[in-house]
This record gives sequence, C-alpha cells and structure tokens, in this order.
Amino acid sequence: MNCKVLENRTIARGFNHLSLAPDKPLGPIIPGQFVMIRVRESMDPLLRRPMSVAGFKPDGSSFGLVIQRIGRGTEILASLAAGDRVDVIGPFGAGFPEPPGAAGELWIVAGGSGVAPFVGMLQPATRPVCRTRVFLGARNSGFLLCADHLSDGADVFLTATEDGSAGVKGVVTDLVERELANGYAPAMIFACGPAPMMRALEKSVSGRDVRLCVSLENRMACGFGACLGCVTKLKTEQRYVAVCRKGPVFDASTIQI
Amino acid sequence: MSEVDLRVNFAGISLKNPIVGASGTFGYGKLYEQFYDLSIIGGFVTKGLSLKPRPGNPIPRICETPAGMLNAIGLQNIGLEKFINRKLAGLESVDTAVIVNFFGETVDEYVQMAVKLDKLDGVSGLEINISCPNVTKGGASFGTDIDTTGEVVSLCREATSKPLIVKLSPNVTDITRFARVCQDNGADGLSVINTLTGTAIDIAARKPVLANITGGLSGPAIKPVALRMVYECYRAVSIPIFGIGGISFARDVVEFIMAGASAVQVGTMNFVNPHILPELVSDLPELLASLKVNSVKEIVGAAHHD
Repeated sequence: MNCKVLENRTIARGFNHLSLAPDKPLGPIIPGQFVMIRVRESMDPLLRRPMSVAGFKPDGSSFGLVIQRIGRGTEILASLAAGDRVDVIGPFGAGFPEPPGAAGELWIVAGGSGVAPFVGMLQPATRPVCRTRVFLGARNSGFLLCADHLSDGADVFLTATEDGSAGVKGVVTDLVERELANGYAPAMIFACGPAPMMRALEKSVSGRDVRLCVSLENRMACGFGACLGCVTKLKTEQRYVAVCRKGPVFDASTIQI
Repeated sequence: MSEVDLRVNFAGISLKNPIVGASGTFGYGKLYEQFYDLSIIGGFVTKGLSLKPRPGNPIPRICETPAGMLNAIGLQNIGLEKFINRKLAGLESVDTAVIVNFFGETVDEYVQMAVKLDKLDGVSGLEINISCPNVTKGGASFGTDIDTTGEVVSLCREATSKPLIVKLSPNVTDITRFARVCQDNGADGLSVINTLTGTAIDIAARKPVLANITGGLSGPAIKPVALRMVYECYRAVSIPIFGIGGISFARDVVEFIMAGASAVQVGTMNFVNPHILPELVSDLPELLASLKVNSVKEIVGAAHHD
C-alpha cells in the first residue's frame, strides 16, 4: 500500500515521528499491531522494517510511526520529507487484548520508543473505558517521547528519568514497584520497552492477580509468518512461535521474555 | 499480439506459468491467501517437512546483508502428520501445483518420508532437501557428499512414483557432479540453488550475529552465482531445472530461463513484496512479447549457443 508522508518531525535526538496517509484507508487497527515499511524502492537495504502503529485516525486515513534511528534503514526513513512516498503493508499481528472493564484499572508501562502502541490506545476515539495509570520512562526529560499524547489520555500520568531531569529519578519499573507497594492494584498491565524493563515487570507482578501483556520487537524479515525469523520461545513447551503472527503482544506468562 | 504461452510441464508437473514460490519462504501456502488467489501462480514449494516436528534454531535467526539476508531457521516445521491433517486438506480447492519439500536426519527417514508422501493425492511433486546448511545433523552432510546424495536420491526414487526433484546445495566445489549423480539415480528435476553459507559479525558484541554462527545467504545478492550454476547444470544434465536465487523482476525470470531453467522459484523477495509472484506472472507476457517470444518453452537454455 502506497503512502504519502504528511509530516516528519524530530521528537528527540535520534527519534522521528512520521505521519503517513495511505492511498487506500488502512483496515481497522488494534493498538499494538504493526506495519512493515519498505525503506526505499531499491535492493539495499532489502527488508522492510517492522514499526508499531503510533496513533491513527479511526477512519484509517492516516497513521503515525515512531522511528528510532539505529541503523541505515531507520536513518533513511527518518530522512523522508513531506510529500515523499513509501510502501507499507499491514497492519499485522495481534495487538493488545481488550482492556479491563470500567471497574478495573489498566496500567501502561512504556520505555523509549515503546510508547508507540499507546499513542493510539490513549487517543480520544479509542481510549479504554477503565481508569488508566501510565508510567513513562526515559534516560532524561528530552527522551520522554509522545508524553503529551499519553498524559492527555491518562487518568494518572507518572514519569521516571534515569538522571532525575523529569519525574522520579530512576527507572520506570521502580515507579511501578512504588505504586504497587502503595496498594494500587491494576487488573492488567500493558508494557512495551526494552527486555530488562519487561523482565523487571514480570518479577514485580509475580504472585499478584495481575495480567501482564508485553509487546516484543524481535527482528523480522517478512512480518506475516513466512520467514520464521522473529520467533520467541514459549515458557511451557520447547517450541518457538512467530512474534509477527502470535504476537507481537503476548501474555507474559506464556513466553520467555 | 497473440497470447504468450506461459505453460510449463516440469518433470511431469503441469505449471500454468513458470512462477513458483520457494520452500522456506512460502509457509504451507495458505499464508499468502491474505494477499492473493493462489491459483494465479504456477505453484509453490512447502516449508521443508520432516517426520517429526522440529523446533528450529535459537534466535537470532536472521540478519540483513547488502541486497540479501542470512537465515538460520534450523528447519523449524510442523512435521508431516500435522501438514497432512491441518494444511493439505485446505489446499484441495486451490488450483496450483503443490510441491512438498522434505528431509530426513538419516537416509532411512528420507525414504520413510518419500513413502508417505507418495500416497498423497494433493501433492504434485516432491522436492528433496539435501542442501539446507543450517542443521548439522540434517541437510549439510547429505548435500555436500556425492555418495550420500546418490544413495538418498536412488532410495527415494524407489519409494515414489511422484515427480522427484532434488534441491542442490551451492556449497560444493563442482555443482555439476551433484547434478549428474541426481540424474543418474533417477531424479526427474533439479532445483538450483539453495542458500550460500555465510556469516556476519556483531562488532560491538564481538561475536557472530546468528546464534547458529552461520546461515544461508539469499536474495538479489546471490543472483549471479545462482544463474552461473543453472547455466552449468543445464549443460551437464537433460532433466528440467528450477532456477532459484534472488529473482526480483520479470527480466530475472527470463535470464534464468535462458540460462537453462524450465521454471523458477522465488524466495526472499516474497518477504519484501508479498505480491511479487502475481506481479511476475502479469509482467512476464509483456516482456516476452517485447522479445518476440511466443512461449516460455522456446527460450529454455536460449543463452547456450553450442
């Protein structure tokens, strides 16, 4: 599907936000789903890049992506200008499950570019009916990506930075620990971020009656289940499952994070 | 302009056109129905199947390289029984050639697979995987040893009357010796080539990128090597050849056919563009017509002039 670049904004050093308008409206998007974006019409770089959809118009007429510039492919994507065209396929994968009902509380924990799926989840048209407590972590205040979007959509919005330049000094999972210790009890936690963050969360919720769902970002060649390159290991059986098809969002109790 | 004839009879397998999805990039077929009607393409080759399901290799399994990629999936597959019960039945209504790629860990397992596959109505042909370089006990020792290759092909030949194709490893000194041994032992066709063994190093971690250390290189980067091997095999044998390696455009298809392929398999580019097969099917007639070619058949090996 051909898309027109509507806008390319630098949102932090090394991070861009792309707004894309597909020629045909994108099908219904579940927050947590991703698209595969072709870097350019050449054989090098060859493979598409998987990118979580970061916010979308409910009618599918435009959507956003958070690009972290970590290599040649993402550098090229970050150099796109308004009016340029890119090829996108998707959305693919299983997004986050239904949030808890009105009586429950949903916690959202995001680190770095892990904010992407929650931009869509917390936008006015798709915001969960339950109470939401959002935890956003970064190195310093300059890297609290999409903080405005998240704080607008959240009932409680908490931040942690490693240098203390915004919010609580420390990592975001310390903040989660603190809130749990304070007696707040979520029905579900949705998380997306670096693996150590998700492992720490798994530890924090162990023994508690909380469903933890994590979004993985394994490297993918195809994004739709053909290459089997992106697999992750199941916890209970000696078997791998494709992150692109069975995930990228998994119940943390089912996979080895 | 008269219609260009795309039909190919490949070793007894009727293909409506020479564009076939390659093993390991096409799952068990159904996956691509989200993108197009499978009856558009000539056929596809399933993911390599074994008697028992295999979990595959640890991650990381893939790594992008210039105009290509390395993979070390480790022959992850659902096993023959699940394929028959869960996948094959769903393909009955699909009007396209279904070729099953298979392998064993022992010669006896190859034969057992061939015996079981021989009985399946929905299977148009068999592709023996002797060349997957990823699993130490799996393909590598078979496909790079000339005597074992001959033994596997000969015993599978006795076990099945279905068209029997052998997918050759390029990781040998002279691929034509293997091509001849396959023909001499009863193979009906060849698939040329499987991936080229390579590696990549993570310089920050000071170790190979792939958990398996080595992987198979595929994609446009390997096209000239694959084309050379098809050209050489065409001179060495008289059985038909599937040309495989980095095919991305209709002109690549024509290059492989002129080098000696009767049909082609497209692999890695399915990942980049899942619509590539139907696009090639639709681009090919126009290109052939512009070359004043009336049928695919008439240009097989056209680049050979002696």
